[in-house]
Amino acid sequence: MRQTNSITKTQKRLLIVIVSITFLFCALVGRLFWLQIVKGGFLTSKAADQWYRDIPIAAPRGKILDNAGKVLADNSPVYTVYVRPNAVTDKHAAAGALSGALGLTEEYVEGKLSRAQSEVTVARSVEPKVADEVEALGLKGVYCAPGFRRNYPYGNMLSKVIGFTNIDNDGQNGLEGYYDKYLSGTDGYLYSDADIAGRETEGSKTRYVPAVAGCDLTLSINAEVQSAVENAVFAARLEWGAKSCSAVVMDVNTGGVRAMASYPSYDLNDIPRDDVDLLNLLSKNSLVTDVYEPGSTFKIFTTAAALGGGVVNDNSRFYCNGSTTVDGQRIKCWKTTGHGSQNLADGVKNSCNVVFMNLALSLGKERLYKTLRDFGFGQKTDLDFFGESAGIMMAEESVKNVDLARIGFGQAVAVTPIQLITAVCAAVNGGTLYAPYFLEKAASPTGETIYKHSPQVRGRPISAEVSERLRSLLVGVVAEGGGSKASVSGIKVGGKTGTAQKYKDGKIAQGKYVSSFVGFAPADNPKYAVLFIVDEPSGYTYYGSLTAAPYAGRILSSIADSEGWERESEEEKQYIEMPEVTGMSTFEAVAILEKTGLKTETVGLGTVLSTTPAAGLRVAVGDVVLVRSEPDTS
Amino acid sequence: MRLLKGKSGNFSAIDRSARYDLPLAAVTVALLAFGVLMVYSASKYNAEINYGNEFFFMYKQLFGVVAGLIAMFGMSVLDYRKLIKARYVILGISVILLVLVLIPGVGVENYGARRWLNLGFITLQSSEVAKVGYVIFAAAYMSRNSEKMTTVRGLLPMIAVGGLICVLIMLEPNMSVTMCVALLMLTLLVIGGARFKHLLLIIIPLAALVVVLIVTEPYRLARLFAFLDPWASPLEEGYQLLQSFYALGGGGLFGVGLFNSRQKYLFLPFSESDFIFSVIGEEFGMIGCIIVMCAFCFMIYRLVRIAQNASDRFGCYLSGGMAALIGIQVLINIAVVTGSIPPTGIPLPFISAGSSSLIVFCGGIGMCQSVSLRSHASIRALL
Repeated sequence: MRQTNSITKTQKRLLIVIVSITFLFCALVGRLFWLQIVKGGFLTSKAADQWYRDIPIAAPRGKILDNAGKVLADNSPVYTVYVRPNAVTDKHAAAGALSGALGLTEEYVEGKLSRAQSEVTVARSVEPKVADEVEALGLKGVYCAPGFRRNYPYGNMLSKVIGFTNIDNDGQNGLEGYYDKYLSGTDGYLYSDADIAGRETEGSKTRYVPAVAGCDLTLSINAEVQSAVENAVFAARLEWGAKSCSAVVMDVNTGGVRAMASYPSYDLNDIPRDDVDLLNLLSKNSLVTDVYEPGSTFKIFTTAAALGGGVVNDNSRFYCNGSTTVDGQRIKCWKTTGHGSQNLADGVKNSCNVVFMNLALSLGKERLYKTLRDFGFGQKTDLDFFGESAGIMMAEESVKNVDLARIGFGQAVAVTPIQLITAVCAAVNGGTLYAPYFLEKAASPTGETIYKHSPQVRGRPISAEVSERLRSLLVGVVAEGGGSKASVSGIKVGGKTGTAQKYKDGKIAQGKYVSSFVGFAPADNPKYAVLFIVDEPSGYTYYGSLTAAPYAGRILSSIADSEGWERESEEEKQYIEMPEVTGMSTFEAVAILEKTGLKTETVGLGTVLSTTPAAGLRVAVGDVVLVRSEPDTS
Repeated sequence: MRLLKGKSGNFSAIDRSARYDLPLAAVTVALLAFGVLMVYSASKYNAEINYGNEFFFMYKQLFGVVAGLIAMFGMSVLDYRKLIKARYVILGISVILLVLVLIPGVGVENYGARRWLNLGFITLQSSEVAKVGYVIFAAAYMSRNSEKMTTVRGLLPMIAVGGLICVLIMLEPNMSVTMCVALLMLTLLVIGGARFKHLLLIIIPLAALVVVLIVTEPYRLARLFAFLDPWASPLEEGYQLLQSFYALGGGGLFGVGLFNSRQKYLFLPFSESDFIFSVIGEEFGMIGCIIVMCAFCFMIYRLVRIAQNASDRFGCYLSGGMAALIGIQVLINIAVVTGSIPPTGIPLPFISAGSSSLIVFCGGIGMCQSVSLRSHASIRALL
């Protein structure tokens, strides 16, 4: 039966339609509730990004201070001059006036004014005086926005440690980069309502959010000590014609870096930003990032291991005939004439390779490696600085006796300078290894301390007794051995020299040395350790005892002066005339010189060509003199 | 009719129902006035920046409102029953306009679609005329063939004409109006008494067609995904919708106040036309949105009442069809603005800027007033 299509049915159908439409309207109200009430806050915050144009107000970057409160880095007020081209009425006249005030060409400024952008920066880092002049011109559409430029009162002092910021004042490298999160403040803003193109809308209210300055950092660095170290590395490089010279001073009882410098360097107020290669080269802090073969300074740790391991005592004797044979391989002592019979103290004073080969071999690789690892070798020191290297130690399982013997006197191992001095501090401070650090304290702009460093103990590689024994052995090196040029009158100094040949492509690079001296003072109760490195001294004077030791002594002496250390009554130094030994055999010459009480370093073997100082000059008893010989032609 | 009207003098109760529907007139005028205000608020910044006159769009809208009111009055005076005879002429004009718009050089191209005819004083959107044209044709057809409406054969002419209009509109292309006409056709068939299982014969192929369109035209697919996750492409497909969300979300419950919309600062495209509801939501909040939706519901309710009281099937279908058209278009517009369906461009009746839409919808209301004027309560009692 066919369904009828009555008016009643139409009424019903109309009802269905209106009910359906009403139902759908209600569904849409639900959707509106979701968007406007539930998601309203979220959507508004998202939309706020586009509703406001914000003009940043630069936050001043935190200051960097030394441990005495001297300013190492702060800010100078500068201005950024920018224009809104749309608002500039007479572009030509404005360009003329602006270029005069800013010292730019008229064409350049007019070009900027003609850009189809809402805002164009015309000049950055404009001095306040110049900005005043620009403001005085009263040009429409030209604005001066205040900002800051980093200012380094000491210029090229500590430059590789402080590092620098980019043009936007963000820390790039060094401590400026490492502690950027502390130093950079929070920029403030001027908000105003804007349309899609950033044009300010009518009736817009400007809201102001002030900038918050960055935190001030207090470093463990001391400007006076740093200055002495900067002078020393500069003078040493000049004297020895070296590729570079560098030095670190560390507080032995905390690990705080008191000074760190190398030369060549650069001026933080005049950074060669245009020459990226040069900048990378100059700004690299190789004391932290690079490794070198330490040579004899490393013997300190072999001694420490041997004393701790009980393989040597005061009665032990060693015989050096100029070389030793390990597993069929002959390894020479630096003094090819041999040191003869020595006890441990003599061995350390003479820096006799044979002694340390014997010590390393009698310890065995397990015990030596354990001590070296306990001193932190092969690991980063956790210094608060970018790019630290871990150093290179041969894998323990592949170390053969020949390698072990070499490691014993500082070869076949590579360390960073910061690693070495950190370990030396542990060796002489009673046996505690601290993590080195730069940052002493961070304070908020309101003066609140938000970070304070407390010394971080990383381990106890040796006992206090072994440490004490080491100190006295190392005092012997400066008092009577190869470190004599590091001595400071009236102050007891201990230390060790090191001269290592450089390698290039796995082969010894002839005539290229890294000469170093590591020392500490006052020796009975050490406060500071200093490591001085002369990289590739030119000429024949390349021994650490001759090149690095005197400068390490100078640094320790100036620390003693600035900290007012009491000097013991100075012993009268005895001076003699340098004997004439030219033309003699090297053996004869060394025998004569040592009989007068001088220490000798030799270059070459055979007939003596010359000495430094030359014959007849005044020389203090106990000083190190250089004997240069050539092989006998006959 | 005249006969009935003459008699009505004796029955005051009948007299009252056979009058101008004043509440309908009032809600129409209120929506038109609110539309002018909102078009001004939403467009003044854009008009100032791009035309140098903040009243540019408002003046155009005022012109459309005046023309619309004239059309409304004219159509209410005209006896709607004359439209039965004119049904083929009206359908013919609608189809011709839809064809004309497709001819390059005649149809004005905008945003990659030909939808407008430039008549000099007005740009006419052919599909707007066609929507009401189809309501008139369908009402006439269904009233004359009311007994056949329960058979498939009886539905075919309506489906054929509706399908033709849909195809022509789709060629512009204008997906949203196509959808609107298709839904309108379905609703008219429901009112006309078609059996629900017969309607499946339209719904299933239509759904299939939608799927085919989406698959064959990948840009539609992209737009579909944009609606599901506008955050995935905040600067491309999702941009328009996100800007609409920002406006609605910024409005909250009570809105930011008249003229205080931020999204009108060129962030929200089509803020004065297809997306004017977003600006309403921003300036008057959810409360304002609900009031506007209630106004539309009330309008639909009045139209359905006119349909119920109409003196003949044609008047009933005509008013019911107008109610359906307004309901569908408002629903689609708000659903688009709130991201409930894929974004398509369709104006909010009586409020969005656009003269042809205003004139056509006002004319449609006038047509329903004509039905109301000529209704007779006793007709119902007699049947």
